[in-house]
Amino acid sequence: MALLIGIDVGGTHADGVLLEGKEILAKHKIQVDQENLSDSIFTLLQQLVPDNPDQVERIQLSTTLCTNAIINNQLDDVGMFIQAGPGLNPSFLQCGDYVCLLDGAIDHRGKIIRSPDNDMVLEASSQFRDVGIESIGVVTKFSHRNNIHEQTLADQLEQQFAHVSTGHRISGLPNFPRRVYSTWLNAALKRKFVEFKTAMEAGLEHLNLRCPCHILKADGGTIPFSGASDFPCESVHSGPSASVMGCLALMENLEDAVLLDIGGTTTDIALLADGIPLLEPYGVTIQGRPTLIRALNTRSVGLGGDSATSYADGKYTIGPLKKGAPMAFGGAVPTPTDAMVMLGSIEEGDTAQATKAMQALRPEQNPEQTATELLQSFADQIHTAVEQMIDEVFSRPVYTVAALLSRKRLQPAQLITVGGPAKAMQDMLAGCFGLPCTVPEHFEVANAIGSARTRPTLQATLYADTADRKLVIPEIGLQDKVRKYFSMEDAEERLRQVIMTQAAEYGLEEIADIDFVERQEMNTVRGFHTSGKIISLKAQIRPGLAQL
Amino acid sequence: MHYMPIAKRSTGLVLFPAFDWCISPTHPEREERLLYTKDQLIEEGLEDVHNIHFYNPELAEYHDIDRVHFCVPSSRNLLTESHLISAGGAIRAARSVMNKEVERAFAVVRPPGHHAMQTVFGDRGFCIVNIEAIMVEYIRKHYGVRKIAIVDTDCHHGDGTQDIFWNDPDTLFISVHQDGRTLYPGSGFVHEAGGPSAPGYTINLPLPPSTSEEGFDMAMERVILPLLEEFQPEIIINSAGQDNHYTDPITNMNFTAQGYARLNRMLNPHICVLEGGYSIEGALPYTNLGIILAMADMDTSNVREPDYDPANFVQPPEMNAHIEEVCRQARQVFDDRERMRREQAAKEVVRERKSIFYDTTGFGVEETKSYHLCRECPGYMELTGYGLGTHVHGYSIPFNSCPACQQKARDAFARAEKKSDTVTALQDRARDIYETK
Repeated sequence: MALLIGIDVGGTHADGVLLEGKEILAKHKIQVDQENLSDSIFTLLQQLVPDNPDQVERIQLSTTLCTNAIINNQLDDVGMFIQAGPGLNPSFLQCGDYVCLLDGAIDHRGKIIRSPDNDMVLEASSQFRDVGIESIGVVTKFSHRNNIHEQTLADQLEQQFAHVSTGHRISGLPNFPRRVYSTWLNAALKRKFVEFKTAMEAGLEHLNLRCPCHILKADGGTIPFSGASDFPCESVHSGPSASVMGCLALMENLEDAVLLDIGGTTTDIALLADGIPLLEPYGVTIQGRPTLIRALNTRSVGLGGDSATSYADGKYTIGPLKKGAPMAFGGAVPTPTDAMVMLGSIEEGDTAQATKAMQALRPEQNPEQTATELLQSFADQIHTAVEQMIDEVFSRPVYTVAALLSRKRLQPAQLITVGGPAKAMQDMLAGCFGLPCTVPEHFEVANAIGSARTRPTLQATLYADTADRKLVIPEIGLQDKVRKYFSMEDAEERLRQVIMTQAAEYGLEEIADIDFVERQEMNTVRGFHTSGKIISLKAQIRPGLAQL
Repeated sequence: MHYMPIAKRSTGLVLFPAFDWCISPTHPEREERLLYTKDQLIEEGLEDVHNIHFYNPELAEYHDIDRVHFCVPSSRNLLTESHLISAGGAIRAARSVMNKEVERAFAVVRPPGHHAMQTVFGDRGFCIVNIEAIMVEYIRKHYGVRKIAIVDTDCHHGDGTQDIFWNDPDTLFISVHQDGRTLYPGSGFVHEAGGPSAPGYTINLPLPPSTSEEGFDMAMERVILPLLEEFQPEIIINSAGQDNHYTDPITNMNFTAQGYARLNRMLNPHICVLEGGYSIEGALPYTNLGIILAMADMDTSNVREPDYDPANFVQPPEMNAHIEEVCRQARQVFDDRERMRREQAAKEVVRERKSIFYDTTGFGVEETKSYHLCRECPGYMELTGYGLGTHVHGYSIPFNSCPACQQKARDAFARAEKKSDTVTALQDRARDIYETK
């Protein structure tokens, strides 16, 4: 059987596994140097590569490269061309200092109201060149209905700048501010990602690894390196993806379930419906910026084992901040970890210090009692956060009578918990949720396994307006004529072809079933006659594990 | 740092376009009606604006409908789930404000409701049940609110809402609309001023065709705002029809998205409920956005129709003079309310007859309402009506009636004869009971 390598780069450590099917042949952990990410990855790879490197079928990687670039403000300046048209005043958009707000507009049905003034474009682009900008982002409102302004500008600017990102290629979904931020981010990450890719390719060659390398995305899927260099924004926020997919790989036959990744500072929550992780309706929010980058619906709450804890008015306040290590590990403030050490559910740590921590919280009572209460409260607070998240998913807007009437609240049947404090919290959580709680074996390398086993995801959206005889598939830049009798079946067929072509371009031999979602079909009426139909449809390969 | 705008006033939005429901495939109140509005609002990223919250509608209970209407043969028989959702959308918007989840709320729902009168035999002017009225009585029942103002800015006269609150001095109903001599439903003249217990609490402002921003500003400044100031409602509701727009295909006004936004800013309603508006591409996406941003106290300066040109919206002097006169008369009606009430006070029963035409399927209903007056309260109402082969005989006890009148109405209902071809009903808002026999 072919071998797979999975690597998960985190904030401080990177984990790697070598898998043969479900079997872990090797696992390794190293400290990460965020400044020299590719070097850290090679160090890890060296430990994992089997004697015959040709046995490795694929390397899959979840990297913090882009996330770190954003957090550490190492983004490139981007020259942005934004056409907002009528609507919200676009002055709130923050994409750095080089923004050209264009006039003209495209309306909600994709009709051209007016083209942008080309003199403005020329003036701004010469200004951008003068300050040495290399990356350009072009976004218009409703470009998912008609990309003409974005495309015309891109054609013009591509000759003058090293890189041009357009909004419609990143996502076919609506939401203009998100499209602006996604495009800006994509353009701002481009150079850094290409450098990383070059370094990686050189390193892999050095290790005689000739197999494809895929990058993990935020949506619980992967993308080949080749595709990722056009859309580097896709690689942000892949850590939670690795964790969720790892849980899926370690557990079998999950139905409706809650996944908890309890760390030192935070607990990450994800939800599964019928065994499939839920996705965000639009995309991930990165450092406050909402985007259209497709992502799993995960929530990070400031409740971790090492969260600073206090007690007042009959309540334990846990987090959201971490103030150094737990007292049992030389820190100064009590934490849930101290309670675990005190109760013996964590073997390491200084029990005397842990007891002191509990006494500091509640001097008046038995420290064992305090530790139990604290962990109970920790579990309760996680439970509340999970309930809120399930509520939010249930409350997502729907737009049809049928959808409103058939809404179903997620009813988790089990709890899967990973992370340092997972074992210590297992029974407490089970009691609190009233659900079986499992801590999977090998959970310490769950993320690396998740990286290895995740399969590619793809998506495309179609919008057809048969009254205007128009069809668009934004992600591939397609704008086509359509016959009057174009139907939902035709739409499915077109999207199936797009997905298959994309898969072939990415060198994917097998792809999973295509899901068709968000079907909408509606007659258009003009002057008391049906003038045509508006059909919209989304096709996706949902997140899942590669078949063994 | 904020990457999305912040609504200065937190605002709830019940956006429910009901894409799978229509009266008939090519009717103007159609599946597609709010498609472009939804597309615009979503594309604007309103879901990500801080302090704007989206809510799904809930389903109203039949009981919420019966609190307001006499449905013939019954609410269960006449209403589809879509109507319960539309009314439930208005209720959800109201709850979000009353529970202080948000400061303001807008129910962008369909089908609309303001042509639905107290008795309901079927669909009238695209409406079956009056979703504002259902919301108002829901608010009264659940939150103990008494004084409510409803300002109907739909291009068509809000004849249904007028009918329902006709005799209620705790509801100030103001309708500003295209003159009834030129547009459906043909009513809404200044002299229609309210029932015997509530004269002057129904105010009609019929504006001439082609009225534009100036005319609406005048109606707001000279009548609507001063009346609200005097009436001091606890809650202001706007029936936010958007068919005064210059592109609307079934009306003749000349109003704009900027105008709607400004009107809303001046009116500052707690709750808006969408009514009509059939320029689904050229107007609704912009007028709805303008209203939402105004409610949220955000910048509306960039909400303009693609072909907006201020030069198109200048009113001729004679139109201004006409509107000034309408405003003067309407103001007079309100100022005379005490005198009018005294004139009626001596009477015991006032009877009013009405012929109601149900335009959607085309049939008539003859109806008589008898207002049994009282010096202490608005009294109670007895109604008889006939249409489509069925009679209705109802008693309605308003929420603000005195115990003696309540008892009289209950006794009268108890004495009323049960007949096979008649829906005999007691609508007891004081006890929140609807009973038929």
